[in-house]
Amino acid sequence: MFLYAFIFPLLSIIAIIWFVFRYKHGKNSLSTVIVWSAFWIFVSLFSVFPDFSSIFARLFGITRGLDFIIILVFVILFYTVLKMYFIMDNMQDNLNKMVKEVALNNEITLEDEEE
Amino acid sequence: MEYKITSEDKDATYVVLPAYNEATRIQPVIEAIAEKGYNLVIVNDGSSDNTLDVIMESKKKYPNKMHVFSLMVNRGVGVATQTGFEAVLKFNPKYIVSMDSDGQHSADDLDEVIKPLVTGRAQAVIGVRPLEDMPRSRNYANAIMNLLTRIFYRVDVSDSQTGFRALTVDALRKITINARGYLISSEFIREINDNNIPFEEVPIKTIYTPETQAKGTNVVVAMKILIQMIRDQF
Repeated sequence: MFLYAFIFPLLSIIAIIWFVFRYKHGKNSLSTVIVWSAFWIFVSLFSVFPDFSSIFARLFGITRGLDFIIILVFVILFYTVLKMYFIMDNMQDNLNKMVKEVALNNEITLEDEEE
Repeated sequence: MEYKITSEDKDATYVVLPAYNEATRIQPVIEAIAEKGYNLVIVNDGSSDNTLDVIMESKKKYPNKMHVFSLMVNRGVGVATQTGFEAVLKFNPKYIVSMDSDGQHSADDLDEVIKPLVTGRAQAVIGVRPLEDMPRSRNYANAIMNLLTRIFYRVDVSDSQTGFRALTVDALRKITINARGYLISSEFIREINDNNIPFEEVPIKTIYTPETQAKGTNVVVAMKILIQMIRDQF
């Protein structure tokens, strides 16, 4: 058995515990825990039983299990980048609203300048 | 007979100036506008130089003509102009103009730009820069932006990237500007069109210097605007 067959399940357990811990402290939603737990369970299955990926690969018309994993990683990375972009965009909007609001409520007068 | 802008018209007009790092250029712009009898709403866009100090120096000369607001951090010309448009509503204006604060626009054009609003011919005005005066790189970028504005926003104008624009307070209340950066120029035109606000194009003078050319719509900015236009479709 290869080393990664031990490392990935260990990483998966840590990741799942981390997501559950964050959920208990209200830092992420139940759906996030489910999606990420499913992801890490699949990672563990792929590392312990490499042939397992071939079953999924055939489902999507891909010949090799490894190709399926590479494509899956790209999809996940793309989704993560897109999600980060939307989070950042939202934060920019909130920041703009706040900065505007502060400016609008504080017209600068000559008295302010003297202070 | 040609209508002549009166002092009452000027009293009812507020010029919005967004300013980012314009310490060396903004003072003559402010003073030319104030000398003509127009009111000003100046928004310092989180400048890292002493733009705000220069603005306040001018305010000492024209304390009743100027209102100054300052964004804590730089958020872009779109956000600064939005702030100016929201701030101006506090002063019950009839006509609102927005101009660049780097000196590329002339205060001498203000009368002509607000004339269609005052006479009731239009509710919005776009100041159109002469193409022959424009540097070649700016000319290409502008042509691309006019084409993109036509494709994405379905409005055909001669100068979609002009920073010199004017509108009545009723028109201002109808439009919604969300752009953060230079997309504001195209978004302004889209909003005018979508809200069926009658508009006119008025030719304006443009003063190009190496400093004014460094800002505004170049090919890189045009690419950023394109990405934002595509994003706006979703």
